[in-house]
Amino acid sequence: MAMKLLKTLPALALLAACAGDPDSPGIEYMPDMYRSPAVEAYVDYGQDPFYFADSVVKRQRTTQSVRRPPAGTVPFAADAAKAGFNFPYPYPNSPEGYERAGAELKSPIPLTQATVDHGKVIYEKFCQHCHGVKGQGDGNVVTKGNYPVPPAYDGAQLKDLPEGKIFHSLMYGKNVAMGSHAGQLSREERWLVTHYVQYLQAGGRLPGAGADTTATAATK
Amino acid sequence: MPRPSRISTLFAGPRQFFFALFLLLAAAPLTAQVDQALYDQGQKIFKGNCASCHKVDKKMTGPALQGARARWEGKGDIYAWIRNSTAYLKTGNAYANQIFAEYNKSVMTPMALTDAEIDAVLYFADNYAPPAPAGGTTPVAAPVGGPQTAPAWPWLLIVALLFAIVWMSLRGVKNQLRSAVSEAEGHGPVANETWWVSLKGWAWRNKAWASVISLLILSYLVVQLWNWAFVIGVYGGDQVQHYKPSQPIAFNHTLHAGKDNLNINCQYCHNSAEKSKHAGIPTANVCMNCHQAVNVGRSEAGTAEIQKIYAATGWDAENNRYTGVEKPIMWNKVHNLPDHVYFSHATHVAVGKIECQKCHGPIDEKMDVAEQWAPLTMGWCIQCHGETEVQMAGNGYYDEVHRRLKENPIGQRELRKYLEDEKITVKELGGWECAKCHY
Repeated sequence: MAMKLLKTLPALALLAACAGDPDSPGIEYMPDMYRSPAVEAYVDYGQDPFYFADSVVKRQRTTQSVRRPPAGTVPFAADAAKAGFNFPYPYPNSPEGYERAGAELKSPIPLTQATVDHGKVIYEKFCQHCHGVKGQGDGNVVTKGNYPVPPAYDGAQLKDLPEGKIFHSLMYGKNVAMGSHAGQLSREERWLVTHYVQYLQAGGRLPGAGADTTATAATK
Repeated sequence: MPRPSRISTLFAGPRQFFFALFLLLAAAPLTAQVDQALYDQGQKIFKGNCASCHKVDKKMTGPALQGARARWEGKGDIYAWIRNSTAYLKTGNAYANQIFAEYNKSVMTPMALTDAEIDAVLYFADNYAPPAPAGGTTPVAAPVGGPQTAPAWPWLLIVALLFAIVWMSLRGVKNQLRSAVSEAEGHGPVANETWWVSLKGWAWRNKAWASVISLLILSYLVVQLWNWAFVIGVYGGDQVQHYKPSQPIAFNHTLHAGKDNLNINCQYCHNSAEKSKHAGIPTANVCMNCHQAVNVGRSEAGTAEIQKIYAATGWDAENNRYTGVEKPIMWNKVHNLPDHVYFSHATHVAVGKIECQKCHGPIDEKMDVAEQWAPLTMGWCIQCHGETEVQMAGNGYYDEVHRRLKENPIGQRELRKYLEDEKITVKELGGWECAKCHY
């Protein structure tokens, strides 16, 4: 009996602590189906910290669930036609790799108005805040955040940049001001963005086509 | 309120005053020497051609431009180096090759600039005066949500106390009058009843009233208890304080995502929201996409927070390289949903086309560190499912649903029923089925 009382005492202390701790989400008072027995992302899976010892809970909380994929593996692609996007990227992150990508690397997706439009959607989420609506380097991060100005896509520096170099820059980043976007965009998405950048390079028209398609994509 | 005069802003505090004095003193000899036209020309060329890789006073992709001419003195031809660095490297100049190696062999784009233009840029860099800090630009996030108005109960208590005092004094007067009457009639003073005894006496005499009043009090208490029980374990919404745990890095959402600020799309950092069940906590490399170049915040505190990213990623800001010593950031989870309910961000963002703010509140306008805005109760979920119209147009998944409804006679009947209120809600397409979320 005394033993039982002793056991409940720390629980009571914890109860008081939970109520007062602004960082605690509170007590799971019916914990039966609260936690997943299977491993889940962003959940300190395992047991409820209220019912288990601090050491157990701490170990669970500090077990890292985000892992790097094992070396030499290729991600599974549900769509066999897109499996090629998961193969290793052959050009290293170096000035030589950049030049080689510029010379050799070509888009596996044919450039059409549809891919440009799709690329625009991705561009608006991932590029526009720095490069600006039309790729003039006048996004909010630059104008309001005093960020280094990216060159305009249709300016002298970037007007004739080949698609391989655009893709390579998305893959590894460019200079100090632009980081790698490989973690945020799949390789297919990076090609779609590349298409939209080419579209902006050509001043808002499909490269090669010559026809002005400004009305469909470049204007909001 | 308009300022009374401009003098008062200048002398707003001794600190501003000395700062102004300092600026005056510092600017006086400077303006005498600096050729403003050349400076402006240099600044314009710098912004157009150099600023994406160089800073004036700090190393970035390339070296700081300030003092470049002095550093090159007697070591080579700085003009040829700036115009075409690759060609100049081939001449075998020792200092050029040293710089090239020091900055990770990044190749500088050839610059078609005349000697005069290069002179202007270097003049601008050497005489660079940093712009005065625009004071107070850091948005102060007002606390949002939860009960905003002051509770009314202190006033009720005061009124109740006043009533009690009036009632008790009236009772005292009444008792004294009764005693006086009783004494005058020769019965002697009446024994002073306690209020409890008199209440019991009153209740005994007026049974109907007593039962009605106690029934009212009882139902009031039951309702209160019921309402209180409903917010146990609820950490958002209108009734309770929002759950806002502290975070290892005090990331300011207003600054990064606010429309009038940097206006970065939510999905730039939470990029799995469209593809996965989870919106995702951005990995530190996403922070570093910008913070390699941004190492000073808008305030001292902001700079300290940026240093925490460097500590986590092992970034050496002095030399622009990673040391390899990494330390994971342990964020505190804000939105805790039990495992017995399934929620997918992808379904809501990509298919439902719901705005982030619909559930996360004015996170880009009013919150610095994230807080739980929605209560995340089942009532809250299904209320939205009952009201929200399905975005059918051009929405791949629903083309099939729509086709089946139209082709099948039972489907047509159902469709007519759905469209009685002229819209198809999530509820009508099964958004209130138990197994939609609990499986």
